[in-house]
Amino acid sequence: MEQLLADLAARSPEWLEARYQERRSLALSVRQGHVEQCAVGCTRGVGLRALAQGSFGFASTTDLSESALQRTAVVARELAGAAAATRRGPAVRLAPLAPLQGAFPVPTNDPLSAHPLEEKLAWVRRLDEAVRAASPAMVSSSVTYSETEEDRILATSGGTLVHVLDARPSLRVLAVAGRGGEQTMGHATVGVSGGWAELVAAREPGALVEEAVRIAIDQLSAPHAQGGSATVVLDPELVGTLCHEAIGHTVEADIVLGGAITAGKLGTRVASDLVTMCDAGLPPGAPHVVGRLPVDDEGVAAQRTVLIERGFLKSYLHNRETAERYGVAPTGNARAFLFSDEPIIRMTNTYIERGDTPLESVFAGVTDGYYLRGFAMGGQADSSAEFMFGVREAFRIVRGKLAGRVRGVTISGNAFDVLQSIDAVAEDFAWEYGAGMCGKGQPAKVDAGGPHIRCRITLGGRQS
Amino acid sequence: MSSSPWLEVCQEGCRLALGAGANEAEAFACDVDEVTVTLEKHDLQIARASRSSTIGLRVVVDRRMGFVSTNSLDELRSAASDAVAVAKATPADPHSRLAEPCALKPPGGLLDPEASTFSARDAVRVAARILEVAEAVDRRVIVGDASVSAVRTTRALVTTRGAAAEETTTLFSHHVLVTAKDGERVSSMDFQSGAARRARDVDVEPTVRQACVNALDSLASERGETFRGLVILSPSAALDLLLVPILFQVNGRNALRGLTRWRASLGSAVASSAISLSDDGTIPGGIASASFDREGVPHAPLCLIDRGRLAAILHNVYSAAASGAVSTGHASGSASSPPLIGPTNLTLASGRSSLDEIIADTPHGLFVARFSGNVDPVSGDFSGVAKAARSIRNGVRAEPVAGTLVAGNVFEALRAVVDTSRESQQIFGISVPYVRVDDVSVTAG
Repeated sequence: MEQLLADLAARSPEWLEARYQERRSLALSVRQGHVEQCAVGCTRGVGLRALAQGSFGFASTTDLSESALQRTAVVARELAGAAAATRRGPAVRLAPLAPLQGAFPVPTNDPLSAHPLEEKLAWVRRLDEAVRAASPAMVSSSVTYSETEEDRILATSGGTLVHVLDARPSLRVLAVAGRGGEQTMGHATVGVSGGWAELVAAREPGALVEEAVRIAIDQLSAPHAQGGSATVVLDPELVGTLCHEAIGHTVEADIVLGGAITAGKLGTRVASDLVTMCDAGLPPGAPHVVGRLPVDDEGVAAQRTVLIERGFLKSYLHNRETAERYGVAPTGNARAFLFSDEPIIRMTNTYIERGDTPLESVFAGVTDGYYLRGFAMGGQADSSAEFMFGVREAFRIVRGKLAGRVRGVTISGNAFDVLQSIDAVAEDFAWEYGAGMCGKGQPAKVDAGGPHIRCRITLGGRQS
Repeated sequence: MSSSPWLEVCQEGCRLALGAGANEAEAFACDVDEVTVTLEKHDLQIARASRSSTIGLRVVVDRRMGFVSTNSLDELRSAASDAVAVAKATPADPHSRLAEPCALKPPGGLLDPEASTFSARDAVRVAARILEVAEAVDRRVIVGDASVSAVRTTRALVTTRGAAAEETTTLFSHHVLVTAKDGERVSSMDFQSGAARRARDVDVEPTVRQACVNALDSLASERGETFRGLVILSPSAALDLLLVPILFQVNGRNALRGLTRWRASLGSAVASSAISLSDDGTIPGGIASASFDREGVPHAPLCLIDRGRLAAILHNVYSAAASGAVSTGHASGSASSPPLIGPTNLTLASGRSSLDEIIADTPHGLFVARFSGNVDPVSGDFSGVAKAARSIRNGVRAEPVAGTLVAGNVFEALRAVVDTSRESQQIFGISVPYVRVDDVSVTAG
């Protein structure tokens, strides 16, 4: 397949990018002792993106014969021509790129395939049993294990030929507690890039069960938060969510060109000088982050992109098209989900760098506020940096000490206002290592994280 | 049997599954031929074409269920043996079964006979029209993201119990995501979408205009006020805030999981008498209509909530068997996964008063065009930002407000619905009116 794609790209009269992708998946779901889903899937095919007459055209096929690939390449070029007829802006040009060649294996010595289905299913069933046995207040339990293994080959008419292997297992535990007709939910997740050993090491599965159960039960008796502006401490998971959802999308160059609030702001102050924020396909010291991307789907090698440096907006995230438009180098952020998707600008692993304030001091500086932990399901952000996220756990802070749980908390506001209000960045750091996906037309596995931070934010809550 | 190639593939899948040791088998094939044109950065970005075919094999071996999907038809034999191996790895379940063969009646109007003449160039022309309309509304509007797509889908299903069904449909859909920019001020983004079964019914103008108006409206917004009281939800906001949690509650799978508060509430009042909700997958030309569901069971009209009382739960074959009920024909999902449960064409009943009359009858409240928020479907707690919102004072739409949060509990909000408007909006097969709800917490941002 490598040679077939390389020859196809090399012989193309116009620029062509040929990507073979095979994706194997397993989904196991057990609820209350019952195996709800046990499903295996496989998709494979080739996506071809042509740049002709200053426009892109894309076509894909599951027929892997040479003749089918040649026909598909013709269709991609014809589609580029159709698009070119109506395009208004300047012709698409690609930033120069030295051809990259090589293989990029999965970072593990314990591949998922070494563990049979029966072993994984028995493990998931034991965890589900543990949720139900944890408390008589449990009214529902669910444990879901999913894994994907990917095999990508990318060849371009620029001479790039790379073979990228990937594996991403994840685990999600859901617990529902009930009392007097009321029900509350707790969940905990873990996900990695790597094999079985890396998944189990990232977070002890029993701890996930305990966390989901504890959240569900504690929420039952927690009062609702009072809405309004408050001083808060955000945990690394919420910091990561803020980085990715509320800030990160506004610095994706396609979004910037589409009218985001960050347009024209390079070099200006957008955050407290305590804030340095980055995106990196291979972040140092974190080989198993979920958004691991050694080389992107345009053949650009991973790099660390500093987006905000000590409060100043430093860079956007680019593919080769937007990099050329801005006169900079591509940042390795072009990603496609399936062979039938064209690459678009996506984040990889996005984070705020650690600071130098001891964690105790971050809390000690709060006289009356909240400690917010974890991202609950649901959340949205605009290109104006307005955001809203659900919070998984929330606690009052009174004179620097935790003082009881509240429930039903959401946070909202303008993300850059929040970044400007940061007055403490802790010296700790954690990745989210979640099981979720980012959605931007196509799904993508991403990671995010950071240290604890202290800032001002708007809490959604009840009014009496 | 029929000579249709997809029925033959499904028959072959079932035959191979039986040969591999299955007691029963179901093969579901989905062939999708799609042309999509994408706009980005207020310009045409890419035209693309794809053809994908997926087959999902579900087998039962001694009451154990296994599922495998593949898009490589050359590997049907190994997929069949893998499905049997997966089934053997799972524990027996007395409710594991396939649907009985049913007589099917096509709704009609789901296939555009002229669809084959709709080319990529036609999609490009429609996409260009999106930009023209946006610019005609106001030059401050930027189309950040939009798409136009034409999809022809063939679904085929065969079971070893004797079911054999096939249907080809067409769908022309589009979406727009716009922001408005005036100097340093950037509006909230607004998202609108539309869909039609026939190419000649594609009309992007109302969709684009609505998105532009909402985005422009939020440009001039100010800080709102804090109160607890009346909120008027647009059809889009009502869908996200009220209908999605209702659908969670009436899903038979969620009831089996013990996740729903309404699992023992059939016949009981769960909402205000202003709420009536029905589902009908047999509507001719309906966006979510089809001759059969993901398991081969025909759709049928179903009243879910009748003037506030819970009237029915959505079931597929499994949830029905486990609940002592019969399938309502709501098995959903693609060929890449086992059947789930989902609605078809939903209608939240409209009321007697127009939106203007409802506003005139609201002394103090908030109009919410879009709910950007979080609803916990288990506890019912919701909280989120009211987008493109306006204060209502003395029965008149007043100033636009930004960053205002609305919060409450869905189960309480459904009982606090005052009325629904006479006019409704179609959102991908779901018909929703404006909905006025009382006793909602509103917090200024």
